[in-house]
Amino acid sequence: MINLVRLREQFTSEGILIAFNGAFSHSLIEELGNAAKSYLELEQIKPQTIIDVFAVYIEQTQNVKNYSRVRKLRECKRDTALVVISYTGGEYRICSGNYIHGDDVPDLSERLREIESLDKTGLRQLYKKQLRRETPPGATGAGVGLIDMARRAIAPMVYEFHREDDQFQFFTLEARVAGG
Amino acid sequence: MIAIEATKSSPRIVWDEETNTLEISGESYPENSFEFFAPLFEWLQEQLPRLPRLVFRVHIRYMNSSSTKCMLDILDILTERAAEGADISVRWYYDAGNERALDLAEEFREDLEIPFEILPLEPGAPYT
Repeated sequence: MINLVRLREQFTSEGILIAFNGAFSHSLIEELGNAAKSYLELEQIKPQTIIDVFAVYIEQTQNVKNYSRVRKLRECKRDTALVVISYTGGEYRICSGNYIHGDDVPDLSERLREIESLDKTGLRQLYKKQLRRETPPGATGAGVGLIDMARRAIAPMVYEFHREDDQFQFFTLEARVAGG
Repeated sequence: MIAIEATKSSPRIVWDEETNTLEISGESYPENSFEFFAPLFEWLQEQLPRLPRLVFRVHIRYMNSSSTKCMLDILDILTERAAEGADISVRWYYDAGNERALDLAEEFREDLEIPFEILPLEPGAPYT
């Protein structure tokens, strides 16, 4: 039998509110997100906090889902991804993990390094600049999701790349949002 | 004529001919924002050149980054029409106390040269 007691203990000790492991669909993103939002509303925290947590969750999950579609991860059986929302030490942590092609790592690292080098004012400028750029045909995003997350986070985002095999790496990203 | 009903993740969009009001209200994080807003861009392209007056009423509690991009494009189109002499104004509603929503509204406003009112609503007020 799957050790649910141990799983539950880990969830409890890490303050995990919601965790999902599997292929993301729009309806799943919507349902999980609304479940998280309803839970936060019951906690009577500031509306701004709820929106920040929800927004980071949406940007992460939609990024993962769009990437999976564009890079055809289902066909490679690599569309399993994770999203976790937790609350510990007075902060919400929103994390995602998904496979990415090794070829995409340099570009993504460069964008993340640029974002982490900027303060709030710099992020605001980069956000506006990126929004003003023409969206390439066929794009499903404006390329500002990462910047949006960084703007809502209270500290630089934490990310890692784990080599899976010659072709894929597992990318994890965590943003922390102030509780309250 | 444009009338799109809201879903959990996409806003209601409606044009009221009598008051010359184009209204967008709800949450905005559709699966594909560019596809979702395409009918509105088409409508604007066809109708806006004939309209002497338009009030753009917005009440969106949350919009994802790609919806934000679409919103900026809509506001740019309205600004161009205003430059041609049309009477264009924006009434942007946000939940009082939500600083992030206010920041976003101000970020939109600072780049635009059209009348742009930012109006607080009682938090949790239903979308109208």
